[in-house]
Amino acid sequence: METSEKLSPFHTTIFIYMIQTGVMGLILPQLLAENFGTNGWITLFGFGILATLNILLIGVVYKLGQGKSIFRILEQSIPKFMLVPVYLALALVWALLGCMAGKEYILIFQMYAFPTTSPMEFNLILDILVFWLLTMGLYNIAKASTVFFWLIVWFVLLLFFFYADFSWSRMTPFLFKGGKLSLLESLDIYSSFVGYETILLMFAYTNQKTKLIKSAMLGNSITTLTYLYLALITFGVYSLEQLKSKAFPLLEMLAYIRFPFVERMENLLFGFILFTVLFSVVTYEWCALEMLKQVFPRLKVNFLAFMLMLSCFVIAYIPDTLNEVGDWLSTLSLIECGIAVGLPLVLIVVLLFQNIGSRPAHE
Amino acid sequence: MTLSQVLRQMMIKESGSNPNNDSSANLPDQDNQPPTLAHTLEEFKDCSDVTHESFPEHQVELIYFDQLVDKEKLSRHILSPLLTGTEQEVSKMLLHLQPFHTNSSKDLILNILAGGVGVFHGPNAFVFNVYSPENRSISQSETETVITGPHDAFTEQINTSLAMIRARLRSSHLKVIKLSVGEVSKTEVYLLYIKDIVNMRFVDEAKKRIEKIEVDAILDTNMIIQYMDDNKYSIFPQFLTSERPDAIVSKLVAGRVVGMVDGSPSAFTAPTSFFEFFSSSDDYYQRWILGSAIRLLRFIAFIITISFTAMYVSVTTFHYEMIPENLILTLTESRSRVPFPPLYEALLMEVTIELLREAGARLPTKIGQTIGIVGGIVIGQAAVQAGLTSNILIIAVASSAIASFVIPSYVMSASIRLIRFGLILLAGLFGNLGILFGITAIVIHLSSLTSLGSSYLNPVAPFEPKDWKDIFIRAPFSSLRARPTQSDSPNKVRNKTRR
Repeated sequence: METSEKLSPFHTTIFIYMIQTGVMGLILPQLLAENFGTNGWITLFGFGILATLNILLIGVVYKLGQGKSIFRILEQSIPKFMLVPVYLALALVWALLGCMAGKEYILIFQMYAFPTTSPMEFNLILDILVFWLLTMGLYNIAKASTVFFWLIVWFVLLLFFFYADFSWSRMTPFLFKGGKLSLLESLDIYSSFVGYETILLMFAYTNQKTKLIKSAMLGNSITTLTYLYLALITFGVYSLEQLKSKAFPLLEMLAYIRFPFVERMENLLFGFILFTVLFSVVTYEWCALEMLKQVFPRLKVNFLAFMLMLSCFVIAYIPDTLNEVGDWLSTLSLIECGIAVGLPLVLIVVLLFQNIGSRPAHE
Repeated sequence: MTLSQVLRQMMIKESGSNPNNDSSANLPDQDNQPPTLAHTLEEFKDCSDVTHESFPEHQVELIYFDQLVDKEKLSRHILSPLLTGTEQEVSKMLLHLQPFHTNSSKDLILNILAGGVGVFHGPNAFVFNVYSPENRSISQSETETVITGPHDAFTEQINTSLAMIRARLRSSHLKVIKLSVGEVSKTEVYLLYIKDIVNMRFVDEAKKRIEKIEVDAILDTNMIIQYMDDNKYSIFPQFLTSERPDAIVSKLVAGRVVGMVDGSPSAFTAPTSFFEFFSSSDDYYQRWILGSAIRLLRFIAFIITISFTAMYVSVTTFHYEMIPENLILTLTESRSRVPFPPLYEALLMEVTIELLREAGARLPTKIGQTIGIVGGIVIGQAAVQAGLTSNILIIAVASSAIASFVIPSYVMSASIRLIRFGLILLAGLFGNLGILFGITAIVIHLSSLTSLGSSYLNPVAPFEPKDWKDIFIRAPFSSLRARPTQSDSPNKVRNKTRR
């Protein structure tokens, strides 16, 4: 049931946070250790600022376009037939990105808890949940994200368990020593921040009260702080060399938590990450759906969403291993970073032309 | 419809609406003729319970249903003058009936059915209301018992129930809209609200939904709310029902709309939220710390109900590593004699407990107790000794069953118990991830629900932190100053007490 209600600032902030955070948060400490070495967690500030600058760039589009949807902006200046291939290409990237983010999560879970079960069984359920959310419309998706946020926010409290093992001496007084910087991998780190660019498609679902850009920046700040806190604790619990060699340092840390009646809860706790992964997946699929709606305006949205998720399910069969999915994700993230910067730039150029064109002629 | 047409309907948007939808506009108005004795008798032909009395000396005919009328009132106002009175007294009686003169046959028949006496005098017809059906006395609610606070509950007689509300709310701002539902039953439905406190949007919406109901009979409040639901396929109740006048009055002053159905001892209120079902009116009659602790306990009970058995199934099927060393010995020992996988074991026990609960609810109290004891032995001891189940599962199943009864709303508690089966199945198939898939599905569904168009997850989503102090806890009265945001009341402040 689509409602005409606009997003509220709080929902938008939480929604952006939920889109951005995901499985990458668990891999992040290892990537930081490998690329930047000692005290690599500090670089997260830089990545956070980069993301903020990108949001500001999107803010320029929002301001120049006076909140008009990007489809209206583009279609006002560029013929539809020229835009259709662009829409389809964007839809493909977003659909694949969502699909692979979901598959990556499922594969990690399968590796830890269900080595003999086919991951596609889990993937099917995930895709059904995503389809269900897609049919509810953006407002309800954002509303649901708030509820899931409350269901996962208590995770921060779990880190108290590691205060005893935390040691500042592991931080060392050295800055960025022992790392091997690779551009592609640092893009992987940045990809844990992407997700904010989807606000480009949310213009039509907001009004002035939403304070879209401010909310997105606040959401991004919360993401940055969460990552920083996670990375700081991980850097203080493991030594640099340990961190470099561990694929999922955070998951291994969670395995240490024990209560008198339950222990080794890492797979249950990892299960909770589903809540944030779900929103990363659903938002990219929603973006793809928005594009498809423009290409096939006569088709029902639910039918399009069904076809989209069916395609995603089929495509998810192609990569088999976690490494393959990782490769797909790296490539897609690279393209996505390009879209996050390139699309607003294109829109700004189009808007500037439109504004020049609409200016009254001086005689 | 061919397959291609069906597919087309699924895929392609409709371009316009069907102009021939409204067929009701062509119906002729059949019953708007002047009332006649012959027509009325014809209407009530074969109704052996109808009473027809003739007084030829006064040219008066009476038609009424004996069991619906107040005999004393009937005798005093109508029968006595006719039986023993003079011509003058009968004329006086007929003069008194003038305000009740009717020109519509339909109106006359409906009023006779509603407990009136149809009086025919020559060409004139009157209908005089002497309605007083048999009624049970006011008693305690059996489904919503409280320890402190008022104990009276609504009865099936709408006038008694309305009187119980009026007695508590002596305000002319308490407005009552009377509607009729049921083409055959003509059940009276009342919508209550407090002017200037309620948002009229909700009143109009509720009224519109009731007016749209076209059904033969409405027998209970819990039936009418299903016709009014925002999402008819949901397992969750979208209207809060209560038998307690104090609870209903508290909803009225909070700016909600209340609906009552004649013949039903429950009233419904809307808009409502999922969290409201975890509140009980006696939370307000206890000290706030106690009230808050009990509210939190109910939410813990909710988590226990939906997750305990599912967690048992998940852990014993897939995640043995989660059990600490000293506990695993006990668990494996108790499971060693059980020949079934944990999923079957859990389903078996859950179904048995549901059977016991249903049997206990249907049987008279004394036999119900026996069933409880026998059932307790069967599922408690015998099942373990026979090697059908493990003791730890019994603890899990029993705790989740007990926890489900902590939820004050019976309807919500029943819905939650049913959901539990889904989670157990998912836990048996996919372990912990299955449980989380299930919880995700529940939350997604809850997020899409609305009650009279207002979000069902209010005040969590939309986020209204001000309301949390009267949802998750029961803060001191001094800090409960505003009406709930969900009511969207034009008059927000409810408590101006300075201390």
